[in-house]
Order: sequence, then C-alpha cells, then structure tokens
Amino acid sequence: MVAHGVSARVSGGTPAEAFAWEDGGWSRRLVTRCALARVCGACGTPLGRPIAFLGDAEETARNAFHAPPMHRACAEGLQGPVGATHLVLTAGFEFVRPGADDPDTRVRCAPNSLL
Amino acid sequence: MAISDVAAYAHLTPEEVEQIGRELDAIRTEIEESRGAADALYIRRVIRAQRWMAASARIGMIVSSPMDKRVRRPVVAASGVMLGLAKILENMEIGHNVMHGQWDWMNDPEIHSSTWEWDTGQPAEQWKHSHNYIHHQFTNVLGYDNDIGYGVLRMAREQKWSPAHLGQPVYNALLALLFQWGVALHDLDLEAIRKGEKDPKEMKRQLRQIAEKGRNQFLKDYVLYPALSGKHWKDTLKANATANLMRNVWAYLIIFCGHFPDGALHFTEEELEDETRAEWYLRQIYATANFEGGPLLHLMSGNLGYQIEHHVFPDLPSNRYSQISGRIRALCEKYDIPYTSGPLHRQYGQVLRTVMKLSLPNHMTKDDRPPTGDDVEVAHGRIRHEDRQVRRTELGAWSRTG
Repeated sequence: MVAHGVSARVSGGTPAEAFAWEDGGWSRRLVTRCALARVCGACGTPLGRPIAFLGDAEETARNAFHAPPMHRACAEGLQGPVGATHLVLTAGFEFVRPGADDPDTRVRCAPNSLL
Repeated sequence: MAISDVAAYAHLTPEEVEQIGRELDAIRTEIEESRGAADALYIRRVIRAQRWMAASARIGMIVSSPMDKRVRRPVVAASGVMLGLAKILENMEIGHNVMHGQWDWMNDPEIHSSTWEWDTGQPAEQWKHSHNYIHHQFTNVLGYDNDIGYGVLRMAREQKWSPAHLGQPVYNALLALLFQWGVALHDLDLEAIRKGEKDPKEMKRQLRQIAEKGRNQFLKDYVLYPALSGKHWKDTLKANATANLMRNVWAYLIIFCGHFPDGALHFTEEELEDETRAEWYLRQIYATANFEGGPLLHLMSGNLGYQIEHHVFPDLPSNRYSQISGRIRALCEKYDIPYTSGPLHRQYGQVLRTVMKLSLPNHMTKDDRPPTGDDVEVAHGRIRHEDRQVRRTELGAWSRTG
C-alpha cells in the first residue's frame, strides 16, 4: 500500500501508466471514479492533502480541470509527460458534470480551496 | 429504463429539464459561495460533542467497575446507550459526510476525506469507492448500484427471484443486526469473486484491509475496554455490544429508508456516461426518498432524512440540507415531479412491505411502485462492474494495481 501523498511508481512515468489514462487521454469514466472515490488519477491509491490538478492556462483561469485529482508527487511526475503547463494545489474540489448546452462536454473538477 | 423513459419525466420538455438543472445549479452555487466560518464551527462542535459522549461513556464503564452493583449496573447501562449514540453520530453525521469531501474546503488536516477513518468495520478507502462512486454515480441503476439489497436482499421486482428469497425476512433482520459487517464486505463484489473475475491481488489487498480494520474494531470494543474494567469486564463487553447493535440497526434503518420507500424508482439504463448534469440531478430525485422529523432526528441520521438533497448535492455541507430542502421541494412541485417524503415509520413500513413481498415470486404480489420497464429482469450481483479490475492490455497488468 502506498502512503498517502506519495507516488511510488508514476513519478517520471508515462501517461499510459497513469490509472485514469486510457486510449491516449484522460478517461471520463476513470476521472469520475477518481474524483468521487477520492483516489489519485496517476497511481490509483487514496488521495492525500494537498490535492493536485494538472492543466493549462485556460483551465487554470476557468478553475476547471479535466485531469483527475492527484497526489502532488504524482502530478509533478506526470506534468512533463502530459504536457501540462500548470499544477494547482487545493484542499478540496467540486466534481462538475457537463450540462446539455455546455460547450465543454467533459467532466471536470473545480478546486474550492486553492493553496 | 433510462431517465428519459420515466413517466413522471415524460411531460418535461428538454428545455424544462435543462431549466431545472440551472435552478439546481443556482442553489448549489449559492451554498458554495456562502459556506464559511459558521459551517466550520458546526462540524467542529458536532465532533467535539461526539468525542465527549464517547469518552464519558468509556470512562463511565471503567470508573463504575469497583462500585456497588446497584450503582454500577445503571451507570454501565447509561454508558452503553451513550456510546451507541456516539457511534451513531460518528458514523452518520461525521464519518459519512466527511468522507464525501463535504468539509475538505476547510483544509483541516483531520476533518478531510483523505484522512478520516470511521468507527465501523469497513475501511474508509473501500467505503469511498463503493458509496461515493458506485452508489452515488449509479444510484438505483440495477446491476450497477450494489446498495439495491446489498447483494443479500431482492429489493426490486426486476431482480430475478429464486427460492432462496423466501428467507428474505430473516436475512433482512440479520443484515440489520450485523450491518457494520455487511457493509464491511460491500466493496468486495462477492459475485465477481465467485466467478473468478476479481483481480486476486486486489482481492487479497481488500481482504487484508478489512481483516485489519475488523480486528482493531473487535479488540477495542471486546478486549481493551472490557479489560480496563477489571473483574466486571463482562458488563463493559455487553454494553459495547449493545452500543454496536444500536448503531447497526439505526444505520440500516436510515439507509434503507433513503432508497426503498415506494416512490423511489429503479433504472436499467445501460449508457450512463452521456447523461447530462440536469438528467443526473433528475435521476437522483427520482431514485431517493426523504423522511420527516425534528432537528435531533436529522442530526442523528447524518441529515440523510434529506436524502434527496444529499443525492443532488453529495458534497455540500450536510448542515445546509435543511436550508435548501424547501426550495427543492418547491422546484419539484413547480415542474410536477415527485418529491418522495413521509414520516420515518411510514417510509420504513413501505421498506418492510417490499422486503416481504419480494421474498415471493412476482406473480404472487402486486407492484407498489411504477414499473422500471416492460419485462425487465436482471441477475443478482453487478451485471456491469464499473469498478472491475480489468486487465490493461497495453501494460499487461490489472488496472488497480498495475
């Protein structure tokens, strides 16, 4: 069992090795599972504090991330491989399902207490 | 049936469905923007009160040990009841809601979904998967949501009947009495284990977690605290067993009243991933039932008397559900959609009637709720394992542990 907040295997790994990555991108099903079950999208073990999100400038500005929640170390390890320009830390987040008229059709996580 | 096939939904236009979604979004935003110090004070007070209750109950049992029988017995009995109430408060209002992430925004190292471990048999990690994800994402969807009968009871007419279901009233009573241990096994997916579909490594990991948690629970209540009571250890052991029994029966009652009264519908939708937020909100409203009561009843039931509000907004602070329930009921009335609610005794009466009726084949009883669809029948166990540990072919490993 990997200790909370520590990545044992993803740090420096490839996106394909990440728990919530399928077919070349973040899987909607697994991002949902990670967000609700409170597990890391990179290593698949329970989240700790703080919770990290990877994204780009637009996601950071919108405060809505398509990547799953992750341990800080896991996110740092994946930041380069997935090409994320921003890493955001938070204590909590809201899980947001897309609406019918939503231009963004993917599920996303909105940090609610940025650190 | 899909959410859009529900008769009570059919009169809504797509625009109305989205408008309901927008109105619920507005309620959500309002609560998110206003949560703050008063909410934090509330949960800290509840935790402090719960700890005082548990500590005074434990101390009462120990310090009364050398006293005369006429004093000791009532003190131990009162302590047992106090401990039972403390366990109920910890499981329902604190543990369940903290593990949903309702209080993560406080950034409190202790009151956080990643760190809370509750006073019951199931490890927190497994609860967050089986409850937060499986149950809340696939609420009342047959074959997905294992809370429909907990893999033990037949709680929907669409579940295939077998002669073993004749014993259902007995299984129901046993489930209530042993509820914490039934919940402890909830995330294992016994059907997948039986069919050899479960990742053996993951199964062993989960079993080890359950064994460790169960051992600690057992040692605490049935070895350590009785031993501290000296020669009257049996009294403490009995009081602790009573406390656990109180918590088990209460938790069972509250949880069953949230989804099995007559107004709560079942679904068989196969493709849930494209459900919009508004449709997801509506499915939560159709699949859940509230019960009515005073503030103390709601506190001791973890505010799950507001089951509809909890399912629509599972990660908003529980102390706010009472505040928004009137608005959600009004919204349902405005759009002529059901808002199932009633006194606790009536809701549980309907649950018991369903347990009894569904112990028999369908042709021998009458349906008390709108049918899920024409000739729908599903096998027991999870027909689609949303959490199944499938092999990741590109890695040659199981998804959870690869």
